[in-house]
Amino acid sequence: MNAPLIPLGLQLLACGVLLGLLAWVAALVRRRRLSLRDSLLWLLSTLLALVLMAFPELLRVGARALGVEVPSNALFAFGFVYVLVNLLSLTIAASDSAERTRRLAQECALLRAELAELRAAVAQKEKEKEKEKKQAEGEGDQAASGRADAAR
Amino acid sequence: MRLLAIVPAYNEAQNLPHVLEALGRVPGLDVCVVDDGSGDETAKVAASMGATVLRLPVNLGIGGAVQTGYRWAFEKGYEVAVQVDADDQHDPAFLTALLEPLEAGRADLVIGSRFLSSGEGEGFRSTALRRAGIRYLSLLLRLRGGVRVTDPTSGFRAASRKAIALFARHYPSDYPEPEAVALAARAGLAVLEVPVRMRPRRHGRSSIGAAAAAYYLAKLSVSLLLLPAREPPGRDDGVRA
Repeated sequence: MNAPLIPLGLQLLACGVLLGLLAWVAALVRRRRLSLRDSLLWLLSTLLALVLMAFPELLRVGARALGVEVPSNALFAFGFVYVLVNLLSLTIAASDSAERTRRLAQECALLRAELAELRAAVAQKEKEKEKEKKQAEGEGDQAASGRADAAR
Repeated sequence: MRLLAIVPAYNEAQNLPHVLEALGRVPGLDVCVVDDGSGDETAKVAASMGATVLRLPVNLGIGGAVQTGYRWAFEKGYEVAVQVDADDQHDPAFLTALLEPLEAGRADLVIGSRFLSSGEGEGFRSTALRRAGIRYLSLLLRLRGGVRVTDPTSGFRAASRKAIALFARHYPSDYPEPEAVALAARAGLAVLEVPVRMRPRRHGRSSIGAAAAAYYLAKLSVSLLLLPAREPPGRDDGVRA
């Protein structure tokens, strides 16, 4: 039998770190700091890493299947891909959210202009109303004074 | 014909009065200034000169700003929209030339080109290095977009209702001019160029330095190379017609 791939202490430490990461992601989801949708890839890939750490023999089998001579190199490659995939998914999310921000900002500008137009139209109407009212009052005064004259 | 001038402006309070004054002399032209999150008095200056102001709450860059104008034109039912830069490089005297092919129904997108000869002298044509870059972009556009354009970076252009509808839905960000031409060509719109003269800018510096120019060329090369053969169905920027 080959020597163990990873010293036991290191294996325990790595498992601990990964478990901690899992717990962290779960806690973020529960506190709604991370959406479930965005957390899925993290949970999945971290679980996979945890399984590999718990059973390093899988790594040896995988490395042999891939033709990698030193299993730890397969581990490095695996880790690298893990980070890249998560990074790419993050970039996609950022792009998506930039697109939405752009839409929202544009909508905001259009609404602001629309509001300014409406305000101007309303102010115009108010002014006209005021004018009409004044005119009506003026006519009323004239009529009243006319009646007074007739009575005299 | 309902006609709108779209003037994207980012910190252009100094140049804006010249541009708006010149545009104000054009009969029947509504002017809308898109204030792209400026830190100066751009919005105030534009409003005081009677332009509609579309004030973006954050800086979106020229692509996002111009698209805001196109969306306004689309929603307000304008038949023709003209893009005019706020830095006073574009002379409104050439508006008639720019609009003529649209009115005649010969084109959907008319670009004012510095490099077509008008027989009236050359005006401002940028530096030799930039001209080389522009020629490279023309070549890319011809290969990938199947459209012959001598001045793809020109921001002095007029769009028909069809082009307005397209740009309200899709408009590239970051140095959008050449890509917008390709988009229009791919959507089956007729693209035409007319000769114009441009002036060097009055105040301030061009927004494109050396590092940005390298990014500009790289970005456009990639985007023109990756240009989809057809518009992917159902994927628009969220605007309903």
